[in-house]
Amino acid sequence: MSPVSATYWGVPGFFIFWGLFAIAFGLFLRRFYFLFRLVRLGKPENRFDRIGQRITSTLAVIASQGCSLKSVSRTDIAGIGHAWMFWGFGFFLVGYIVFVGLEGGLGLSIPSAFERVYLSILDIVALFVVAAISVAVVKRYITRPARLERKQRRKEKIIMVSLFTAMTSLMMLHYCVEGLRYAAYNLSSAPPIGGVLASFLTSTGSSSATLLGTYNAIWWLNYVLLLGALVYTPHSEHLHPLFSPANILFKSLGPKMALEPIPPEEHAQESFGVSKIPDFTQKQLLDLLACTWCGRCQANCPANLTGKSLSPREMILNLKEHLLDVGPELLAGKADADSMIGSVVTEDEIWACTTCGACQEVCPVNIEHVHKIIDLRRNLVLTQNKMPESAQLMLRNMQSRGHPWAGIQSLRLRGDWTSDQELKVLSDGDTADTLFWVGCTGALVERNVQATLAMTRVLKAASVDFAVLGETETCCGDPARRAGYEFQFQMMAEQNIEVFKSHNIKEIITSCPHCYNTIKNEYPRFGGDFKVVHSTQFIADLIAQGKLKLTKDLKSRLTYHDPCYLGRYNDVYQEPRQILQAIPNTTLVEMERSRNKGLCCGAGGGHTWIEEQPGTTKINQLRLQDALGTGAAQVVTACPYCLQMFEESIEHKDKKDSLKVQDLAEIVEAAMR
Amino acid sequence: MNTIVCVKQVLDPEIPPAKFKIDAEAKQVIPPAGVPPVISVYDERAVEAALRLKDKHKGKITALSMGSEKAADVIKHAIALGADDGFVLQDAAFENLDSFGTAYVLAKAIQKIGEYDLVLCGRQAADWGAGEVGSILAEILGIPVITLASEIQAQDKTLRVKRIVSDGFEVLEAPMPCLITVGSEIGLPRLPAGPRLMMARKKVIPIWRAQDIGAEPTKLDKQNAHTEVIGLSVPTRKTECEMITGATPADAAAHLAAKLSKLI
Ligand code: SF4
Ligand code: SF4
Repeated sequence: MSPVSATYWGVPGFFIFWGLFAIAFGLFLRRFYFLFRLVRLGKPENRFDRIGQRITSTLAVIASQGCSLKSVSRTDIAGIGHAWMFWGFGFFLVGYIVFVGLEGGLGLSIPSAFERVYLSILDIVALFVVAAISVAVVKRYITRPARLERKQRRKEKIIMVSLFTAMTSLMMLHYCVEGLRYAAYNLSSAPPIGGVLASFLTSTGSSSATLLGTYNAIWWLNYVLLLGALVYTPHSEHLHPLFSPANILFKSLGPKMALEPIPPEEHAQESFGVSKIPDFTQKQLLDLLACTWCGRCQANCPANLTGKSLSPREMILNLKEHLLDVGPELLAGKADADSMIGSVVTEDEIWACTTCGACQEVCPVNIEHVHKIIDLRRNLVLTQNKMPESAQLMLRNMQSRGHPWAGIQSLRLRGDWTSDQELKVLSDGDTADTLFWVGCTGALVERNVQATLAMTRVLKAASVDFAVLGETETCCGDPARRAGYEFQFQMMAEQNIEVFKSHNIKEIITSCPHCYNTIKNEYPRFGGDFKVVHSTQFIADLIAQGKLKLTKDLKSRLTYHDPCYLGRYNDVYQEPRQILQAIPNTTLVEMERSRNKGLCCGAGGGHTWIEEQPGTTKINQLRLQDALGTGAAQVVTACPYCLQMFEESIEHKDKKDSLKVQDLAEIVEAAMR
Repeated sequence: MNTIVCVKQVLDPEIPPAKFKIDAEAKQVIPPAGVPPVISVYDERAVEAALRLKDKHKGKITALSMGSEKAADVIKHAIALGADDGFVLQDAAFENLDSFGTAYVLAKAIQKIGEYDLVLCGRQAADWGAGEVGSILAEILGIPVITLASEIQAQDKTLRVKRIVSDGFEVLEAPMPCLITVGSEIGLPRLPAGPRLMMARKKVIPIWRAQDIGAEPTKLDKQNAHTEVIGLSVPTRKTECEMITGATPADAAAHLAAKLSKLI
């Protein structure tokens, strides 16, 4: 019954079927192998650890479409649309294997009961797919939400149009093939839509020979279109169906956004970081091929939202285009790789990033943007000695003064915040189990010292036995690391670890999410394994144990700003909120963008010191709008940089009367008395 | 081209004025705790000048610092920036020397090093700001000196130097070896490049004492100093603010003009 069993111009259909298949599959494999080799241009990176766990979680997230559903805002239905299309095509794929492959290609006969049931399912599925495609077309070309806004290259336009046309055609062809088949062979109990079509065709009075001929022709057309799609996909730039699953499979399983150290064996090199395609790791190149163009990253990027030139999506896509452009020559060994900095990615883009991680958080296919940006910075700073003047000033301070601050009249001296505080300040040879690590900003900048002092009073009130380092504390190294000055960071990490060990420290409490992230997630790579607790976690614990009682009625409406390095980097969302909710008579209102979608304050990635580029507005002012939008009287945060950024934007916008910013420790202290 | 750069370790000039304390009796600055001393800004520019010449003409850079044992840090800093070698000159007899004494010690050390084409110093130290050591040092070494350089070019055995003067610059030439003091106009120093930072940190910097460089005790005797510190005080900064008013903006402007003309 299958059109393959017929003979065409004396050639058996089977020959034609397998001949076409061999050609198409060959072309597919050839291109796929080429793309595979492109990825292999990168430096090897071991992402095969815990492979079992990787495989199961990848299958789970793809099958459930958790990847595309997880990260879209409530008002955006793209994730649902994608899920429909994906599941729909899943059904069709099985259908093609059974009805085209097994029945057609291998000539097996499929039980008619199964056929009827399965085709009926496909009848309905195809409707869903067409609906999803229509919505996608409307969104992409008519309503155009901001995240999809982009100047599409001509190539991309062609790809999108071909994609939508091919998918719609396949769905339509499904009905045609089905209708003709049932009409031509005059079969009974047809699937719903196929049945309607079949009776219509029969009612036209066409001869069964005509129907059969048309059926055969349409069947082959469908087959050729399928093979065409197989060949076209890897040749187009829409590679995500092929590479996204692999990207999810090889995603980083370590702490989020943690950076790779430059290993000692590479210290003698002339060049550091990334400036050319082969400087990337294989996973970083795979990232480029896996991008789906969805724009979620861009819609959440603080730099992009405030009109800076950086868009994480454009960066990824430009790099991908560059890879596809220069890849063939690199593979042939014909050309040396060119530097991409300045041409493919601009220095402005590289420095605009606050390393907030919002892009990675929402990316459906686990692309790691922050890594790449830091690698590009490493090249600029370590190899080319090129950076914005403000970045250089900060790095010079880190190097010569041991902290990033300088030039502020009101700056405190290291350790002078401890005077008259009756604190246990560690000197050489002293030991302590618990260290309160203050961090540079909390020790040196007047406003932040207030928060630090509040925290020490809270700890004392709860009778916590802790010590501080006072004047011997240095920087944790984070600003240097995020600015690409890796060796300075490594030195500071090694020094600090030595200091911790010399005092026999077991547990480190810190109020700074950047220190917290660095000591907790990055020091282990340098031999420092300590229990690290953020002040919010510690306080929440004290409250839970009944050691701290928040009894004072603050009668306040508060909103909480999630620091990126506490929230997104370390998933600490609950504890700060628990604490605020434990204060009597306090209402906690959430900003529209909060928790893992929280907007950066603008200070991460060294941007407390690196001057913000001109754009439509400043990041901290955008965030101030979010806070003002809640109608809260106070915005509470748990990071010294966020505190500063809010102080600055409130001052700048003259909103001191309507909004006050406080560190969580300050609120807790106020609620204790 | 072999260059010797003299660098000094000074109190961090970024210390907020309110935290700056002196011992008026002993006529000494009391270094505040928790603030590491740093390389004097102009001396860092001198290192940068040396590195730029080395970038072009190869050669060796040696850094010298007279001071406490902690001065090893500024030598390490110079090495991290790109200097090849360095020595600290430390001896009880070197403490509190005036510009002449300092120049003498540096000269002895330079003579011990022996071969050099160029000696670079900052235009003045960021702490005392006398700006004398460079010239005296050249005098002792018996080589030409050019001060306040903003650009240095080397050709064969001659140096061509752009020198800052009050209303512009002049271009001077001097045969090598010679001594040049460098101003901040030379440009921002580079950031110490990657791994040198770690290498420099681990480096052991040799310390030379008075007898190592053959310094004569009489020359170091405070009795023979050419200068004497009479007193030391923290300058008081006073700001006064007076609002100039007037019935109309024009009135206010007239009052302001009258006030200003009295002040000038
Ligand atoms: S980390 Fe933040 S600032 Fe950087 S590209 Fe991603 S979203 Fe933008
Ligand atoms: S990087 Fe990720 S979030 Fe951004 S466009 Fe590509 S797939 Fe979407």
